[in-house]
Amino acid sequence: MASSREGRALSGLVRRHGLLVVFILVVGLMLAVKPTFGTYQNIVNILQQNSILGIIACGMTFAIILGGFDLSVGSVTALASVVGATAMIDIETYGIPIGIVGAFLSCLIVGAANGWLIAYLGVNPFVATLGTMTVVRGLIYVATNASPRFGVPYSFTTVGLGYILGIPVPVVIFAIVAILLGFVLHRTRFGHYVYAVGGNVVAAAEMGVNVQRVRFAVYVLVSACAALSGIILIGQTASATPQAALGYELTAIAAVIVGGASLGGGHGRMIGTIIGVFLLGVVANSLNLFGVSPFWQPVATGLILVGAVAADGFHKRGTFAHAK
Amino acid sequence: MPDTLLRAEAISKSFGPVVALQDASLELVAGEVTGLVGDNGAGKSTLVKIISGVLRPDAGSIVFDGERVDFASPAAARAGGIETVYQDLALAGNMAVWANVYLGRELTVGPPSLNILDKRTMHAKSAAMLKQFVEQVPPIDEPVESLSGGQRQIVAIARAGAWGSKLIVMDEPTAALGVAETRAVEEVIKGLRQRGLTVLVISHNLDQIFRITDRIWVLRRGRVIGSRETRMTRPEEIVSMITGATGAAGGA
Repeated sequence: MASSREGRALSGLVRRHGLLVVFILVVGLMLAVKPTFGTYQNIVNILQQNSILGIIACGMTFAIILGGFDLSVGSVTALASVVGATAMIDIETYGIPIGIVGAFLSCLIVGAANGWLIAYLGVNPFVATLGTMTVVRGLIYVATNASPRFGVPYSFTTVGLGYILGIPVPVVIFAIVAILLGFVLHRTRFGHYVYAVGGNVVAAAEMGVNVQRVRFAVYVLVSACAALSGIILIGQTASATPQAALGYELTAIAAVIVGGASLGGGHGRMIGTIIGVFLLGVVANSLNLFGVSPFWQPVATGLILVGAVAADGFHKRGTFAHAK
Repeated sequence: MPDTLLRAEAISKSFGPVVALQDASLELVAGEVTGLVGDNGAGKSTLVKIISGVLRPDAGSIVFDGERVDFASPAAARAGGIETVYQDLALAGNMAVWANVYLGRELTVGPPSLNILDKRTMHAKSAAMLKQFVEQVPPIDEPVESLSGGQRQIVAIARAGAWGSKLIVMDEPTAALGVAETRAVEEVIKGLRQRGLTVLVISHNLDQIFRITDRIWVLRRGRVIGSRETRMTRPEEIVSMITGATGAAGGA
């Protein structure tokens, strides 16, 4: 009897915190079999490599809970890095602050376009953001002739490569973004409305939620996160490449979904997204440590994504079976 | 002399060539549960939508709480004190019961510009609010989608009552529910009346109408046929009014 109760408690734990259990198992396994995994340098590596994607995924969490998503984030990240780097290279005085402001403004325009199309014109998020993704990437190629820009002032690499108290600056920025946006999502009225619109848009509108404004604000927020990632990207390479951040949109969506959000909207948590980002990151790092070709990494990401969604569906069916 | 909470006077509404309501007038007595019955297409839903601000009449007027009103939207009607419980429930299934009770009316703490939710107060108050109308309060922390259909309907109705509406309008509140759940929802409707609220309910279920209402208004083909006090009439009379077999004694 006691053992069956323990069994039930364990299965409840796995159901509610399955993602965390899997993450701890993977990390524990790696610590046991690969001593280099647990070194300071490797941990810092994992954190650093996943911060840019993590910031994008934090914004994407809002869009997915809202019942949409944003395919344009990769292009917007590249836009920020090209606009920012160009200003930093070409403008003699105050080039860095002008570059940062310019990067944000250009990205917010794209976010506002996404938000306007989706919230006010009722365009499907897939179509709207596929459109801006393609248009923005095309404009970047036109403006740069598809060649990278080098020569960003060396001082700016602090943003990408510097350390604060032994922690890489991008990781610190990611942590601040995650805590801030987690607070907005879970503790403020705006976050509440994101869940309400994603859960039942008719009910939200009936109860006086300004659905259009919430949707618009979310897509602007997603673009702001992508802009921040693009600026950090400048700091990591002291340059900007038009081909930067290709495919980030799908990896970010994958991380959010692995983190427990559903594409149907209404479900998901910021902490889930963060674990999702690092689960994909740790697996990629592990493959690397075992000397597996990096070409296998998308294979692993895809398998984890499908596995996570399948496990979620399995548990949901189980829940319904009990409720009936 | 009972107080009239709402009086609809000579309401007409057409959709293109289709006349949905013609010169329809009715009164809702404050503190009563009023039933609105009629065959399909008699104009019940149209009349209810006009009262709740979803539609606007082509002609006629509505006097609510002593003032002539012309609601441009359901939000305006809600602000005026008329709350409609829709069939699609107007609840966000992914959110907890307390969050639904406070949806669109969230309490906040701290600096006003930050809009930080006061979860603790909303949590405590929502339980007390629902307790006014139901003996068994649905689990406040659970997402609404984990509740039964009856519990969801109870949350939606109790929310309407708790927010100080004067008139609560319901279109087929138990259409999709089983027997036990239907009775539970009917208890909540009686609870609304005990709290002094006025209720207008559309139902196809005459047994239910006779169980919960004080007065019954009958519509037929867009016209108001008349009203009866529930305890002074019998289902046979109401059926004959609905079908047009005029008069309790029959005859065409």
